[in-house]
Parts: sequence; C-alpha cells; structure tokens
Amino acid sequence: MKMEARDAYLKQAMSQFIDVENREVSVAALHDQQLYELELENIFAKAWLMIGHDSEIPNTGDYVVRLMGEDQVIVARAADGQVHVSLNVCPHRAMHVCLADSGNARVHKCIYHGWAFRPDGSFIGAPVEREQMHGNIKTKEQLGLKKARVQVYGGLIFATWNHDGPDLEEWLGDMKFYFDMLFDRTDKGLEVLGPPQRLTIDANWKTAGEQSACDGFHTLTLHGSVIDIGAMGGESDTEHESAPAMYGINLSGNGHSLRCIPADTSWSLAHGKGDLTPEQRLEAFPPPGITTELLPELKKNMSAEQLHVLAKAPPVVGGMFPNMNILFIYSPLRDGTLGAALVLHTIMPKGPHHFEWTTYYFAERGTPDHVKEMMRAAATHGTGTSGIIEQDDSDTWPHMTEAARGVIGRTETLKYQAILGENRPADWPDKAKVYEGFGKDDAQWEWWLAYHKLMTASA
Amino acid sequence: MSLTVAIQTLTREDERREEVPYGSPVYNSVVGFLIKEARFLDHRQFKQWGDILAEDLEYKAPVRITRRVQGFDDEFGTIGHFDDDYNSMMVRLTRLTTTSNAWSEDPASRTRRFVTNVSVWETENPDEYEVLNYLFLTRNRAESKDYKQLSAERYDRLRMTANGFQLARRSILVDQVVLGMPNFAIFL
Ligand code: FES
Ligand SMILES: [Fe+2]
Repeated sequence: MKMEARDAYLKQAMSQFIDVENREVSVAALHDQQLYELELENIFAKAWLMIGHDSEIPNTGDYVVRLMGEDQVIVARAADGQVHVSLNVCPHRAMHVCLADSGNARVHKCIYHGWAFRPDGSFIGAPVEREQMHGNIKTKEQLGLKKARVQVYGGLIFATWNHDGPDLEEWLGDMKFYFDMLFDRTDKGLEVLGPPQRLTIDANWKTAGEQSACDGFHTLTLHGSVIDIGAMGGESDTEHESAPAMYGINLSGNGHSLRCIPADTSWSLAHGKGDLTPEQRLEAFPPPGITTELLPELKKNMSAEQLHVLAKAPPVVGGMFPNMNILFIYSPLRDGTLGAALVLHTIMPKGPHHFEWTTYYFAERGTPDHVKEMMRAAATHGTGTSGIIEQDDSDTWPHMTEAARGVIGRTETLKYQAILGENRPADWPDKAKVYEGFGKDDAQWEWWLAYHKLMTASA
Repeated sequence: MSLTVAIQTLTREDERREEVPYGSPVYNSVVGFLIKEARFLDHRQFKQWGDILAEDLEYKAPVRITRRVQGFDDEFGTIGHFDDDYNSMMVRLTRLTTTSNAWSEDPASRTRRFVTNVSVWETENPDEYEVLNYLFLTRNRAESKDYKQLSAERYDRLRMTANGFQLARRSILVDQVVLGMPNFAIFL
C-alpha cells in the first residue's frame, strides 16, 4: 500500500475500530485483513518482541529458529559470545537458510545454491569463490542476512526491526522496575526447562493479547472448574486459589501490565498474618520461584522499595505489550510443598484468524534439579497445552474470532468500561499506573491505547 | 541441568527382551486392553479409564523438535504437553467428572481413537510388557465441519494385575512440532 493511502486508511480505521471516549473496540478488528497486514508492519516489525532465552543457546553456534510476526528468524550465539538475530531468508533468492528449528552450526549454508553465513548473519561467500557467484554489484558486507536489533534482559532475548526506535529500557519504562522482580532478581538468573510447547489456535492474536493485560475477571467464570475442584478437595492452598484472588494491585505502563496479589488473600497459610513486618512476610512467603535458599540473593539484588512490593503483593501474572503473557504463580508441587510455576507465552500472528501460541517454562538456575522437575510438572498441569487452567482460555478466543466473521457480529464491541481508576496506596512506589482494589478493566484498556499509539505512530 | 527426557520409557531397541508373537494370547489381551481403553476415552467413561491407571503412573508427551537427519535421535525436548503422574491425572479426571464448568470440553469433543501397529515385548518383570502402538485421533467439536487430527506413536508399559492390565507408563510421541489443536483437554 502507498504510504499516503496507508496512513489515510489507518487514521480512518483506528477511529472506526477504537472508540477511545467510550472505551470500546470494534469486533471487526478481530477480522479485518487490511488491518492485519498493517499490524504486521506497525506492531510486529516495530515492537520489541520476546523470542527466546539465553539459556536455550549456551554455546557458540547454538541456535533456535523463532517467529517475529510471520517472519522466521535465526537466534544464534556467535563467536563473539553475543546473541544475534537474523532473518531466516537467504539474500540470494529467498530460500530459508535454517531448516531445523534448533541445533548448533558454525556455518549456516543455504541448501539451494550454497551461500554461507556465520551465526552473526554475516556473509561468508558463495561456492566456487573464484567465479564470484554473488556477482560484483554488491559487496560481501551488503549480502549478509538482515539483522534485527537485539537486547537481552534477565536472559530473555528481545529483538526488533525498529533500529531507530526506543531501546528496551525505554520501551519497558516504569514497568521495568516491576519486571526486575520476576526476571532479574537472582545472581544466576532464570533458565528454560526445555524447548517450548507450540500450538496453533484458530483465533486473532489480539484476543489473547488483550487478555494477557490483567484480565483477572474471567478467572471467576471461565476458570470456575479449577476453583471448584480446589474447594472440593478440602484444600484451600491449590494453585488455583491464586487465580480467583480478585483483590490486589494492577499495574500498567506502556501497554505492559502486572497483577500483584497479596499472599494473605489467596493462601490460607498466610491468613491472619497481616501483622507481620514486611521482612517477616517475605520470609514466610517468598515470591513464586524463590526458594528459601535463594532469599538472601533476592534481598541483595532488589531495592528496599522492590522488597516492599514483594512482601506486600508480589506480581504474579500479566503481560508485556504486544504479545507476551506472564504467569509466575504459586503452585503446589508433587511432594506437597508450596512451589511455583514460572511460565511465559508468546502470541505470534498467523493471519487474522490464527496465531501460534508458544509456552516456555522456567526455574531459577539455583533451584535443585528435583525441584525443577516438580515445577515443570506443575506448570504443565496448570498452563499451556494441557493445562487445566489455560485449556479453557484457548476455548474462548476462537469463538470471539468467529463472531467477527458475521457482518452483524462484527458491529459489536469489546467493552472496557469497568473502571477502577488510578489510586496508588501511600506505601506503594510511584512507578507506573497503579490500580488497587477489585481488578477491573483499567490495565486491559491501557493495552489497547498502546496498540492504538503504535498503529498510528507513522500516521 | 539434567532433566529427564520423557521418551526414555521404552527399552533401547538393542536391549529389548523377547517380542511377544502376533496373535498369541498375551498379544491379543494387550490389543484388547488398548481397544477397551480407546472405547472408555471416546465415550467419556473417565471413571473406568481412571480405574485402569496404575498408581505409579507416568504419563508424558514430550514436545517434538525439527532436527536435521543427523540429529534425529535428539528429536524430543524435556518439556512435554503432558507431564503427569497418578495424582495429577486424578485432578484432571475430577475436574471433568465432578464440575459443571470444565469449558474446554463442554460441549465435549467427539473423538475417535484408532489404535494400530501394536508391538509387544516382554520385560525384566514377568507381569509387565512394553507396548509400542500407533494412535490416530480425530476430534470434532460443536458444529465445526472440519476435524482436528493427530497421529502419534505411544510407548506404553502395561502391568498385569488381578483385575487385568493397568497402564503404568505412557510416552506419547506426537508427530507434530506445532500442534494443530488448541489444547489437550483430551487424553491420548
Ligand atoms: S537461495 Fe540461498 S543460495 Fe540461492
Ligand atoms: Fe485465563
């Protein structure tokens, strides 16, 4: 689409799809092909996207192939020890250079005509060097794989095609203060427990995207069954108790969000411990994923303000705009102890009516192996493909998308009109937008505002 | 980190014991068990299915990875689509059988499990058999005209008890790297 036509379309589309005043989004936005193409350009080629973790590619030459929007990229550790992200498209004639989804290679050689590339994406040469089969119009420097901009934060690998845009720190803004409490809190950091689960959901990516921004409300009904069985078992400390805990603190900034839930509203063990000092509370209930052994490290790495948040109401679920979902939740383990499930999802679009849902499981590196295995089992049981919580989520998104196919259905709107409003408690850090109370639509609406802003950034 | 890979539920090919001949009484009773199990699951007889699970159950479905042919042995990850034991399986069954809001399977999928290519081996334990079998599953839901399909190889360990066979271990090796169905709210 021509630049002017595109911008004109976007202006018109954004006002047609998003009613800022009434906090409504047209259901048509879950269906429109033209809008989708522009999302690929304005969101997925502009945003910082989480595409993997440092611990997946520990050695030189290790690589995984991942998606950024609909583009495949090679995420590799090069000889310089750094992570490089290169488009998996041969500059010669567009063959995919990497055909496996992970492995180790010092040289990535295209199987079509044999052009070869280093893990950092640079061009080595074409076969029959003396015949100079890459021609003499472009230099070897010009013929490398297209490179994305990369930043590694807390081991998470972020990449973007926006070479001139904000750096990751600015992109995360005030929310980084809170994300540090999940991703950057121990000396050795997190590690993945294996390659991720991947599956296809017949739904528009935004259905899962907007939900990740603190839709706490749906847990009461959609996840009612897991609440019910928790009650039936006569155990109040099931992993699901943390889901329905509706009173807490929601945080939002730049479209990113987190939901902080105090341990004493969701765990009977913590009931009546409201009179503990923050220090004592932290000892009694370290945040999900932090074992007693790791507590000293946590205290060393976090500021006093951050420790206060962790003691009062640790962040447990949320999202990073545009397409990452976070669940760092308490969960009972096989041995009967209270442990955690540390889960990240990415939501990668595959056309307006499909997305690929990728699920990563983590543990702090300093966790004993047998605990990691129990955390992996707990995470698999609750979340991802067979998770008894999340299998219900994957049931709703296709229905919403199908609703958008009807010419009348798509005139309906998604509504974000339950407003709590910013109301930061006096003892809470003055960082990001803070909503204390029964979790409402505030953070989810902020997700749409971030979407609106990025979509119209060039318009 | 050295987490176990779920595929290691079957003895390596060169270490396997005697293969149970096709058509022998043991072979037939194994096939009969697999048919009965598929019937329980296709008909949502979860109580009956729960009864044929051993209490030391390991039930896994490792994620698949696309490797170059040279790395073919290395095709499965330590994370699974299932990572269950008996207790966690009972929680799944309780949710399905005792609640009225397990939405991912309400309305329920219409499933057919076609189980074929059954191979049976004796093990170090006279009451236990290793069973390799193929599963083809069709899943239809609501008014969808299309089927979600899945093919897999299952590595099972069956144990003979006073009440017949029980499933002690299952490792499901799904043929897809990226699953085509939105969840495993069903059992494989
Ligand atoms: S397309 Fe890659 S070498 Fe020709
Ligand atoms: Fe959910």
